[in-house]
Amino acid sequence: MRVLWSWLLELCDLDRQITPEQGAAALTRGGLEIEGIEALGTGFSGVVVAEVVAKRPHPDAAKLTLVDVITERGGAATQVVCGASNVPEPGLKVLWAQIGATLPGNITLAAKPVKGIVSPGMLCAEDELGLGDDHAGIVVLEAGDPTPLGAPAQHALGLADHVLELSAPANRGDVLGLFGVARELVAVLGGCVVPPDAELAGFLSAGGAPTKIDIADPALCARYTARVIEGVTVAPSPRRIAQRLRAVGVRAISNLVDVTNYVLFELGQPLHAFDANTLKAGTIRVTAARDTESLVTLDGAQRALVPGDIVIRDGDRIVALAGVMGGRDTEVTAGTTRVLLESASFQPLAIRRTAKRLALPSEASLRFSRGVDPELAAFASARAARLLCQLAGGRIAGELADAYPAKRAVAPVHVRLPRVKLITGVALDANACTGALERLGCAVSPAGDGLAVTPPSWRVDLTREVDMIEEILRISGYEQVQSTLPALRQAPGIHDADRADLARHALAAAGALEAITYGFQSAERANALGLPGSDRRSQPIAIKNPMSGEQAVMRTSLVPNLGAAIARNQSFGRRDVCLFEVGSVFLKRGEGATERPMHELADEPVWAAGVLAGKRRGRIGDGAPYDAFDAKALALEAIRAVAGTLDVRTEVAAVPYLHPGVAGALVVDRSALTSDIDVPTIGSRGIVGWFGELHPDVRARLGIDGPAFAFEVHLDALPLAPPPAMQAIPKYPGSDRDVSLLLAESIPAARVEQVIDDAAEPLVAGIRLLEDYRDAKLGAGNKSMLWSIAYRSPERTLTVAEVDHAHERIVRRLVAELPAQQR
Amino acid sequence: MTSNEIISNLERLEADFESAIRPLGDEQAIRVAQAQYLGKTGRVSELMKELRTLPAADKPAVGAAANKVKQTIEQLVTTALDGITKAAQQADLQRRVDVTLPARPIGGGRLHLLTQVRLEAVQIFAELGFVVAEGPQIETDWHNFEALGIPKDHAARDMQDTFFISDEILLRSHTSPVQIRTMQTQKPPIRIVAPGQVYRRDDDPTHSPMFTQLEGLAVDTDISFGDLKGTLLHFVKRFFKQDLGIRLRPSYFQFTEPSAEVDMQCTFCGGPGCRLCKQTGWLEIGGSGMVDPVVFEHVGIDPERYTGFAFGMGLERMAMLRHAVTDIKYYYEGDVRFLEQF
Repeated sequence: MRVLWSWLLELCDLDRQITPEQGAAALTRGGLEIEGIEALGTGFSGVVVAEVVAKRPHPDAAKLTLVDVITERGGAATQVVCGASNVPEPGLKVLWAQIGATLPGNITLAAKPVKGIVSPGMLCAEDELGLGDDHAGIVVLEAGDPTPLGAPAQHALGLADHVLELSAPANRGDVLGLFGVARELVAVLGGCVVPPDAELAGFLSAGGAPTKIDIADPALCARYTARVIEGVTVAPSPRRIAQRLRAVGVRAISNLVDVTNYVLFELGQPLHAFDANTLKAGTIRVTAARDTESLVTLDGAQRALVPGDIVIRDGDRIVALAGVMGGRDTEVTAGTTRVLLESASFQPLAIRRTAKRLALPSEASLRFSRGVDPELAAFASARAARLLCQLAGGRIAGELADAYPAKRAVAPVHVRLPRVKLITGVALDANACTGALERLGCAVSPAGDGLAVTPPSWRVDLTREVDMIEEILRISGYEQVQSTLPALRQAPGIHDADRADLARHALAAAGALEAITYGFQSAERANALGLPGSDRRSQPIAIKNPMSGEQAVMRTSLVPNLGAAIARNQSFGRRDVCLFEVGSVFLKRGEGATERPMHELADEPVWAAGVLAGKRRGRIGDGAPYDAFDAKALALEAIRAVAGTLDVRTEVAAVPYLHPGVAGALVVDRSALTSDIDVPTIGSRGIVGWFGELHPDVRARLGIDGPAFAFEVHLDALPLAPPPAMQAIPKYPGSDRDVSLLLAESIPAARVEQVIDDAAEPLVAGIRLLEDYRDAKLGAGNKSMLWSIAYRSPERTLTVAEVDHAHERIVRRLVAELPAQQR
Repeated sequence: MTSNEIISNLERLEADFESAIRPLGDEQAIRVAQAQYLGKTGRVSELMKELRTLPAADKPAVGAAANKVKQTIEQLVTTALDGITKAAQQADLQRRVDVTLPARPIGGGRLHLLTQVRLEAVQIFAELGFVVAEGPQIETDWHNFEALGIPKDHAARDMQDTFFISDEILLRSHTSPVQIRTMQTQKPPIRIVAPGQVYRRDDDPTHSPMFTQLEGLAVDTDISFGDLKGTLLHFVKRFFKQDLGIRLRPSYFQFTEPSAEVDMQCTFCGGPGCRLCKQTGWLEIGGSGMVDPVVFEHVGIDPERYTGFAFGMGLERMAMLRHAVTDIKYYYEGDVRFLEQF
């Protein structure tokens, strides 16, 4: 809310004078955050108040006037050329932009001839000062305007002022009027509030019978008042009213409308003015709308109503959507002479729902939905009536009609002083607590071990002891709270290491850069992997109210966002990139999840994934290009970080988003996996991840240029390794034997390892591939592999014969089972 | 030969050997020369065959001379070999490598700045006995709002524009539902921090539709507002590694009472006011307060017996303040020019 500083000061009498900055600091300290201070009138300078002393037509231009102005009583007059048609008679004041004045739009005035006569500056219209779009004529101050001659124009325009941007807490409807802000300022700084003048004596006329009011359900409307003002004349508001409204962000329209807005900002009470001559029934009824009813609101739109809406009826006819918008048929117009002024308090929730459903947020509905104090209605009505009489020449017809069926009985709240100390940590005695609460308008009396506190009517948010404790601390000052630390009463307990962080550390140490990407993505990106419809990951969870298409669905794999990040890096020339991410993906629970709305939580398994493209870093020049084995290495690092020495095998696999010839699945014994996690299987083994080269179609969908490699590891499926136990360091030397094999290209390396493993020779301590060689000379479809097998015993140095025999047995099995020839 | 002749021959062999190996420059040639003199059929051995023709009385003198020659030759071999080693080392020391050439690239991997900040924050709170708790990102409306005292249609929901999956399921808009989940399953005393991703319909240089919050919760028989202040002060000093003060400023959150915005002294100007702190000397870092009794009632904790504090802060903002990150979007773009800086 925009708080006009001079208006705020008018509503309170503070113990000391303060600057807007001090006021903002005091309000912020008290909990009404001032998010900014705007100095008004900074858009122009060098414009002064001048009085017209003579005027005559320009000799050479019919539409121009030569105006003599003075800026001090008895001073010499200056002749200014003016093109406006409303140059006033001598004695009235205008705004003179002198030579050197700066105006909005980066204009600096210089003397220049107008039709042959040099004009030292100009007389200004509103739009030339950036005050709206009125170019109908120059600004003429009202007769009797007290601004001294020669003063900056800002003083005459109400612009020597500041606006505080107040962010009102959601529970404080009472500060959505300047008077409520004044109460807060007074509570924090000391002083008293000065209610605006609502005296009606002198404006009363006999009038007829008061309007009848019928509230169908007190729950919908705690209080409804109506008052008729007769003999009004619609006209523009005086400059002072219009300026204030403009400063708080509302355009002036006419005196009738402006008065309701003025009181809304001043007191926080929304008002509605009906053209009383359009109301025929003599009874105002407040009811819930019925289904199928509708209203043409004053913006001309036909609004279909629902039973939750509160409506105002003239007899049975709906004439307004309570607290949200009036009806077109009963609105005040230029010809209105009688006004029925509504000042009421409606149920916050109903107003909030209606305004939200119809997308009609307004200053009024904002306030009603935060709750308007019913006690305020009559006073606000009087204040507005007085202004209407003053500004529009009206007379008040009869008494205020006041239906108040739901007067709130405010029960005192018991506040225990020890509880104040326990919660705040500050020792505040009864006097301090009482003083703080009384400054807020609470009635306080001693009661047992504490205080009985009755909050003022406008503080509907104060209903519990803890609410009062907050107020006591707030007004006493949060700065009284001393820093202490909570006692350590409990050991932290046993907590598993976090799989995700283990993997992150390992992958970063292995040279990959961690990325964090959004949990949501566009539908296109979610589909980029081209997974079959039967795959759970091809049915992402949709977001009902995304801000853009980029937030359509939740991710089911980390790969698409990473792939898109690779493409983005390529777009600005970073082509050698190795990214990883560890995070949750989101899957509908249960098999065959459908388009039905979700009523339960999702599965949020944690995965690690990476995408690599380009080349490794070289010492001089480029390094070698990344390939699938870099992706495999990272995947294995992530697995090792979580699962330690878990035996991980590679299987050639068909993975929809990977190149059909460069794709592997990482598998482990099913029994080793976390039992409550479902993973795809190959035989008795569960798949915990994939790696390989991205399929060219997937690359194209993600915009990646050139080959790219990826891996994914399902971290939640992996068993968390216990702290590793040391393995004995070998005491005796081992010896190596090599075997060179000629075998079919289609036999994978993993098969060779498997055969050696199956041989179960106890002396085998390790195997290593020394060469993987393909050449036409080997015969079509053949390859040659050179393996080295290490033999060792933990108990003794092996003899040559022992090693040779063991090696012989293994070679025989390789030759027979692969099959292969020994070379 | 007489014993004297043998002895003088032996001495000549010594001189011969010395001149024979002087030109030799490698170990193998020297070993060959050594064998020619000291081997089984070497020249010293040949000469010693004469020994048996001598009278017994002469033998010791000749034997002594022979041993001396053998020792001398071995000494000469050792010296020559040392010389070769030294010369080789000397030659190697003439090698010159341009050490200003680039280093071999190793490592190059990095944890994301937000990961680093999260790990550090969690560590700092661990010093005060806080342990990590987690909860789902896709949450129920009840955990995210209602249990925290924010019923449907409440004005407080306007503060957090939320992404919904269905009427009852949403993307959590804060980490506060982890408070609820923790208090539902654990009895006090409770000390947790809950870092995690949260989602709001917000997008500008300081707001991202996804961001990372760190929630803290302490529940015990005697937790006070002062404990909240002390805990946050400890964090700010340790995290920013500066002796910065904090201030609590009254605010409103549905699930805490009293509630407070947490400000810390400006990391940049330290107090007098600058552009970063909008001339106030203070930077807002999060929301906090004493757990509202309504929340305790929702999770079955007796609000008369227990009190608690809760706080939440954005890790992006913490990292922005400490590392001068200028736009929140950098965290999520996977731009290596950003990622490799930290």
